[in-house]
Amino acid sequence: MTQELAAALAAEEAAIYAYGVIGVRLTADDEVSRARAAEQEHRSRRDILVARLAELQASSPPAPAAYELPFEVTDREGALKLAVHVEDGVAQAWRVLLPVTADAERADALAHLTDSAVRATRWRRLAEVTPLTMAFPGRPVS
Amino acid sequence: MVLTGRVQIHSRRVFLGVVAAGSTALAGCGLFDDGPEPDPQPDPLQPLLDEALALAGAYDRVIVATPNLAARLTPLAEDHRAHATELTKLIGAAVASIAPSASAPAGPTDTTATLRKAEQAAQKTAVAACRAAPRERAALVGSIAACRATHAEALR
Repeated sequence: MTQELAAALAAEEAAIYAYGVIGVRLTADDEVSRARAAEQEHRSRRDILVARLAELQASSPPAPAAYELPFEVTDREGALKLAVHVEDGVAQAWRVLLPVTADAERADALAHLTDSAVRATRWRRLAEVTPLTMAFPGRPVS
Repeated sequence: MVLTGRVQIHSRRVFLGVVAAGSTALAGCGLFDDGPEPDPQPDPLQPLLDEALALAGAYDRVIVATPNLAARLTPLAEDHRAHATELTKLIGAAVASIAPSASAPAGPTDTTATLRKAEQAAQKTAVAACRAAPRERAALVGSIAACRATHAEALR
């Protein structure tokens, strides 16, 4: 399970980085505060994952100093697209934990998968992207 | 940044399933004939499948009653049909019909508000099912739970 937890940690680190980029390109107050709240949520999950990995005596690899973004982000449209991309990626990482966890730990993983899927839906609505939902959030798109 | 998940296939389980089916067939031959066989237990995911079909039908009825909601609601109905298809494959059940019902059966028509409530209730069912599911089913059922939550969000 440590491998899956480490992957979730990497996804959360990437999300934190991405929201820094996203925040710069948003101007509307409600969008900025949504981005901040999302970043905060990813930070607290990161902290929980670091603690959990330490508990399992697994090393958590340091986050890279910078990431290569999947596309250039120069405006609001790009920022919203990146937010959707990031939440989809985080949802995938938490979904992988479902088969390797049980009970409360699985419930937590599902809560995080769901939270990211719902967040992605909200960003799609702001970006006016349709459809707003996907049938299997977190399932890798081949 | 690009994250990929892995899908594990439990071929051993499938194999054991085949053996179990074989012994049931033997029992049917009268070799171990001690009375009628009990009704097979319904699959624990059957309620989830029933719910997916009921929700798809509920969306269809609203779309028939209020065609200008079609663009918004059709993708959500399609998600439920996709769930029904996957669950049917997993359970191995025969499904009456997953296709959209052209003639909506009579009954009280939902609104987006009642659909939202139904999605929230259905999400709870799926969360409980995910928690109880064996590992090879947990990811699929978890995605269905998350999807139902996104539907409630999309209906706001």
